[in-house]
Amino acid sequence: MTLLLEKPARAPAMTDKAPYWTMRRRDELAGWLMVAPQLAGIVAFVIVPLGLVVWYSLHEWNVLAGSFTFIGADNYAALADDQQLGPVLRATGLFSAGLVVLNLSLALFLAVLLNQKLRGTVVFRTLFFSPVVVTLVAWTIVWGFLLQDNGGVNAFLDVLGIDGPNWLRSGGTAMASVIVVQLFKNVGLNMVLFLAALQGVPAELYEAARIDGASAWARFRRVTVPLISPTILLTMILTIVGSLQVFAQIAVLTQGGPGTSTTVLVYYLYQQAFQFHHFGYGATLSLLLFLIVLVLTVVQWRMRRRWVFHEN
Amino acid sequence: MKTRPGMSPRLKVLLYGVLLVCCVPFVFPIWWMATTSLKPLSEIFAFPPSPLPGSPTLDAYRQVFELQPFGRQYLNSLYIAAVVTLGTLAVSALAGYAFARIRFRGAGIVFMIVLTGLLVPNEVTIIPLYRMFDTLGLVDTHWPLILIPMLGAPSVLATFIMRQFFITLPAELEEAGRVDGLGRFGLFWRICLPLARPAVGAVAIFTFLHSWNLYLEPIVFLSSKSKFTIPQALTQYVDAYGGPMWNTQLAAATLSALPVLIIFVLAQRQFVEGLAQTGLKG
Amino acid sequence: MKTLTAALSAAALLALAGCGGGGSGSADEGPVDLRMTIWSANAKHLALFDQIAAGYKKDHPEVGKITFEPIPFDSYTTTLTTQIGGGNVPDLAWIFESSAPDFVSSGALEPIDKDADLVPSTTANWEKDGKLYAYPFSTSPLGVFVNTDLVKAAGRPAPAEQIAAGTWTWDEAAKTAAAVQARGGKGGLVVGDFDYKGWDTLNAVWAGWGARPWSEDGKTCQFDQPAMADAMTFLHKLVFTDKGMPGPGVTKDFFAGDSGMILTQISRAALLEKAKFKWDLVPLPKGPAGDYSVVGQAGIGVFKRGKHADAAKQFLAYFTNAENSAKLAQFFPPPRKSQLNAATLGKANPLLKPAQLDSVVVQGIERGTIKPSHTGYAEIQQTVRASLDRLWKPDADVKAVLAGVCSKINPLLAK
Repeated sequence: MTLLLEKPARAPAMTDKAPYWTMRRRDELAGWLMVAPQLAGIVAFVIVPLGLVVWYSLHEWNVLAGSFTFIGADNYAALADDQQLGPVLRATGLFSAGLVVLNLSLALFLAVLLNQKLRGTVVFRTLFFSPVVVTLVAWTIVWGFLLQDNGGVNAFLDVLGIDGPNWLRSGGTAMASVIVVQLFKNVGLNMVLFLAALQGVPAELYEAARIDGASAWARFRRVTVPLISPTILLTMILTIVGSLQVFAQIAVLTQGGPGTSTTVLVYYLYQQAFQFHHFGYGATLSLLLFLIVLVLTVVQWRMRRRWVFHEN
Repeated sequence: MKTRPGMSPRLKVLLYGVLLVCCVPFVFPIWWMATTSLKPLSEIFAFPPSPLPGSPTLDAYRQVFELQPFGRQYLNSLYIAAVVTLGTLAVSALAGYAFARIRFRGAGIVFMIVLTGLLVPNEVTIIPLYRMFDTLGLVDTHWPLILIPMLGAPSVLATFIMRQFFITLPAELEEAGRVDGLGRFGLFWRICLPLARPAVGAVAIFTFLHSWNLYLEPIVFLSSKSKFTIPQALTQYVDAYGGPMWNTQLAAATLSALPVLIIFVLAQRQFVEGLAQTGLKG
Repeated sequence: MKTLTAALSAAALLALAGCGGGGSGSADEGPVDLRMTIWSANAKHLALFDQIAAGYKKDHPEVGKITFEPIPFDSYTTTLTTQIGGGNVPDLAWIFESSAPDFVSSGALEPIDKDADLVPSTTANWEKDGKLYAYPFSTSPLGVFVNTDLVKAAGRPAPAEQIAAGTWTWDEAAKTAAAVQARGGKGGLVVGDFDYKGWDTLNAVWAGWGARPWSEDGKTCQFDQPAMADAMTFLHKLVFTDKGMPGPGVTKDFFAGDSGMILTQISRAALLEKAKFKWDLVPLPKGPAGDYSVVGQAGIGVFKRGKHADAAKQFLAYFTNAENSAKLAQFFPPPRKSQLNAATLGKANPLLKPAQLDSVVVQGIERGTIKPSHTGYAEIQQTVRASLDRLWKPDADVKAVLAGVCSKINPLLAK
């Protein structure tokens, strides 16, 4: 975890020099006391359950029969043989990639629009943010209606003279629908983060670029993007991690279909564990999911030095 | 940006046009949900759907309250989200401060352990968590819905935001406090926390929304109707065979969304700006 | 490193708790509390259950609280198994007919007494080695509700007239459905709960062709057999060529007056209480294989690992005795011979006429076959659903899709 390499940026000078060792000691104690609730919570609600999941993954666990038999690495061998896993991982990748690209570009686009000197941007900002506060389940149920073949979206397209597809029932559009429903639900959050970052870009830099004769696009590419790159990184990590955990939307909208086109990893492990009662195998799949999230996050964090601009 | 000379009217019209078009997918579903909940069942699936109810009725709203203790469930969701928000603020502000400003032995490894929480989806740990809370006799109570988000994985993002904020505070601030004889907790409480309002705002919003949206945990942990939360209650408006009662479901969805939307509209300046000023610098 | 040690010992402790298998089974001294998980959230159902429970408690002072715990229909089995897996085993639970083999064969259920009054066909799904493992409290025949206004407006004879003339067949039903749908805006025939996902509800159709999804012994797939191919071709044609059935992704709510006919459980009659159209209930149309009927079932079982298995068994016996069964009959058609007559059922179902009750309910239950089930049903269900999705397109090759289904589920059936 390279996250740790980043030391507290400007730790108080006094603790560094610490003329009295008692002060240092007191700090030590205070530090531990302050992180204690969080640490205890993480150990109790994340680390220990994760350990138990590892333990379960070494067993064949039939919940109904109450049997719990040690089978060693069999579940991991099953993972390698699982023909479903390929399509599932592909769907997961497609969903996450699609969502991250669309989410970040739309969020940035809206933020740039709202950052213009226009009256009424507050109203638009509110409107773009409003789905974020709607209960996820309610939002999904409503889109489930709208995306029916005879639903609101197609009626709307009908007015425009377009014959809309059967959104949730054909492979390509079902995946697109699930991505879009999730996109509009949460893009407002990233938009606000970008807006904040944009407002932090010093105006003088734009002026300088303008005097140098840079076009609007060049100014955006060379001035804006590098300056807000830390925010891009953060929103990217949060969106990717979030996209790998998407569940209620799939459960309500497509149940993984048509075929298995929208069966993403979380949904697949839910099916295996809770619907098919293969708890041991479900535990194995959860570890796989954990590993994927971990690797992606670490890779992004490592790569940040290549493209994230640091002020100092 | 603000210093730019006024833009041409044509550009303005274009920008407004783009903004309006962008609004459609955000506003249309909410507006549709609200109007459809006023339609009698026979109008809901008419094609093409009518933009406004032909003969508006409040039947569905009456049913929302007749079929379930919806008011009670609403309060459950609200109070759980409020408690979780306050608790998370306390936990994450303390931890975030310590990670940002105190060099204590083991800080690195502790931070790493805490960060794993960011990476573990709740579907992964739900079964062991269920067993733990069942062993403690806390199934079908609100405790799991409060304790897990407040101390477990969901609180890590809050701690992370807090840490990122506290890191940006200049060291001189605390030095001045030290001179005045403040200890660590004093520095935290008197000097740093009051400055952290934007971060507190952001964490409050994230946390409240997370709790408000929680779906899997209530379904797994709660079983008495009077203890249900809103997202869970929404899925309960079905007939005895699981056939959804469309208009009742939509009415309940509207009721669950509108008050929060109204509060948001009223408080949106604080909401959005609080989020905006968190000093999230990656 | 103190925390690490603490964490490790906590982990070890929890692991012990984790693999010990739930349910201590110790019947302690305090009042006996019973809990039954159900999937109905219907207030009228709950009121009746509470009333029965109150009656029981009068004679059984040792019983404390009896709770009926509604779990959402969609996540019912999932939530139930999470509870069981977590060690919080309910005393009693409703069980779907499709999960019956899983529950019955797992050994999780306590055998219960079999009343001689029970119709034999209703208990078959819930027995193993001659013992009954759940009470089939709801045995609901499938029938066809008809919106006679729509059928008349489409210029088609009412199904009741066709029954009298002996011409109520699937081909005729398809014509009626297509005629209704052709008038625009309305749906023709809807198969209840199918929605192009719950393919097993189609059993009520293909049974008319004598088709089955798999062999009686559950070992071989029969989707690729000629009878199934004929039945599915009929359905495919009905949807995409004749246009008598709303296509995938289109909802037409019969009970809101939006479709001509719906094939579903008769208990849904309750939804027609406020209907603004004239309706009728008729038996399933005759298929190429002749007359047939299909019932949907649900059972109540007692969990061995529940805290009070014996008390639960006693309560179940009371809950389903003749007297209470008659009360339950207003929502759930009873499996008892003595109550399967139009007179008893009529009291409980005021919306249905005696003739309707006799033709659909009484005869339906006596002759009815139930939906084929299988151990590991959920996985088979999902696999078939995923492979059948390719069928619900206008240009689908029916035979090829069905052969594909078999190649997918044969390994699962063989398990």
